[in-house]
Amino acid sequence: MMSLVLMAANFLRQRRWPVLLLFLWILLTAAIAGDFGRSHTALDDVVFHAQQQAIYICIFSAFLAADALHTERKSRRILLVLAKAVSRGDYLLAVLGGTGMLAVVYAVLSALCSIWLATRTMLPSGPVWELLPLVVAGALISASTAVFLSTFLNPYFATACTLAIFCAPIPFHALRHPAWIWLPGFPMLAQFLQFSFRPDWSPNWMSVGTTLLEALVFWLLASAIFERRDVAVPLE
Amino acid sequence: MPGILDYTHVVKDYTSLWSPRRVRALDDFSLSLERGEIFGFLGPNGAGKTTAIHLALGFMRPSGGSGQMLGRPFGDAKTRARVGFLAENVALYHRPARTLLRFYGTLSGMRPARLRLRCREVLEQIGLEAEADRSVEKLSRGMQQRIGLAQALISDPELLILDEPTSALDPAARAAMRELLLECNRAGKTIFLSSHLLSEIELICHRVGILSRGRLMKLGRTEDLLVSRDRYEIVARGMPAGSIDQVSSDSAPQVRGLPLAVPQVRVLPLDTNLGRDGHVQFTVAAASQREALERVWALGGEVLSVNPVRRTLEEVFLELTNHKEAHA
Repeated sequence: MMSLVLMAANFLRQRRWPVLLLFLWILLTAAIAGDFGRSHTALDDVVFHAQQQAIYICIFSAFLAADALHTERKSRRILLVLAKAVSRGDYLLAVLGGTGMLAVVYAVLSALCSIWLATRTMLPSGPVWELLPLVVAGALISASTAVFLSTFLNPYFATACTLAIFCAPIPFHALRHPAWIWLPGFPMLAQFLQFSFRPDWSPNWMSVGTTLLEALVFWLLASAIFERRDVAVPLE
Repeated sequence: MPGILDYTHVVKDYTSLWSPRRVRALDDFSLSLERGEIFGFLGPNGAGKTTAIHLALGFMRPSGGSGQMLGRPFGDAKTRARVGFLAENVALYHRPARTLLRFYGTLSGMRPARLRLRCREVLEQIGLEAEADRSVEKLSRGMQQRIGLAQALISDPELLILDEPTSALDPAARAAMRELLLECNRAGKTIFLSSHLLSEIELICHRVGILSRGRLMKLGRTEDLLVSRDRYEIVARGMPAGSIDQVSSDSAPQVRGLPLAVPQVRVLPLDTNLGRDGHVQFTVAAASQREALERVWALGGEVLSVNPVRRTLEEVFLELTNHKEAHA
């Protein structure tokens, strides 16, 4: 367990500069949405800020996770890690753990910004906290899909395919077709888009559970494929 | 009884999804390491040494055959906790040396208290305790290599697999590394050492395996490999000066009447020995040994010693890997 936490933290540490920029980005967008010059903020701006941040972390998680294996193999640092008592599955779980840690910090930071904005607009802060687990689940399914695809695809293709999988159900959703429910990630995306501060909005916890289960399946599939990959082969 | 590291008819092919070309890196490779030995693994570039090491550690899977490390099949994660590995051109995270050692120690499943103690010991062993809190990217290449060795030693492993451990070291550091490896071996560790530095191997390895084009060309005790069974060196004295022939000015002198003109027989220059105290020294093919001795006696000489010719590991290596001409 300790080794998983250390590897996850190490994964994040290796990417600390883009992660820090991302955190600054949250503060910047909150400041823009809040518009310090005005005494209160428009309701639409607050909702848009919360939705935007939730979608951004999913996209960013895909980028981070898809690149993880490629970068480590290219630098050959993966060799010394996998030469220890670490299985391929553990290694991928650490990547997902690192992305999850980032998602939690990101979600809390963006929730605090959203609450600050909501307070300026006299909105209740409750829905923001309810959105938080959805954001983390969205980031995890995005990362696990990207990790799965990156075990056999170039990281750029893996990222592109992950985003395509998320966006593919949009037409079905517009047509109110039920097929989208079965595609990974989209139930979270759909809920982000429906998010509001109205009391009738509440998360679909069932879909959060399904999403986490899908993330688990993708991790298992990724582990099975990665187990068979030659990690020492030089990358082009 | 199984060895500490066993390869059984291992084959490894590199293939590409986009190309029909197949490169065979290891071909019917079998080897067994004995517990407590230092094994030298030699071969020219591209011979398959690193592939063999990577297979043992589970970085890749064999295309055929099988292998075991510490009694478990290759690639078993838990077994790797008992193995230390140093990769060629070691790549380390940019962290302070001590933090890095704790990171790798934790990955090997070590408890924090033992890890703290072991960190201190290992840093002392490699002589870098003063640099323990400096980030490794600020250290010299040689120091990084030593940190690489430290991470291999951190879990006090039974088996050390080292791929070119002395490649970036200066002569003094190389000697220190050699001493450290001998110390580890005295402590009971088995060492699998892949290196291009033949003199290093010759000095410390109990057994040597020479790999060429994926095949194990020679395997045996270092002493046995270095001693030639087809050439003998004879030292004699008391032979009349007239019995020494100088065939031409640029050739080595020969003992008259001795069948020394056998190809591959090296005739040692006699002038350095003859005349000082009347000794002559020459080499003959094994088949001609008896005839040579009788000739010395017939000339009135006395045979002082007959020994198999001792070669350097470099000579053995070049002979086996067909690099003689390229080397010349």
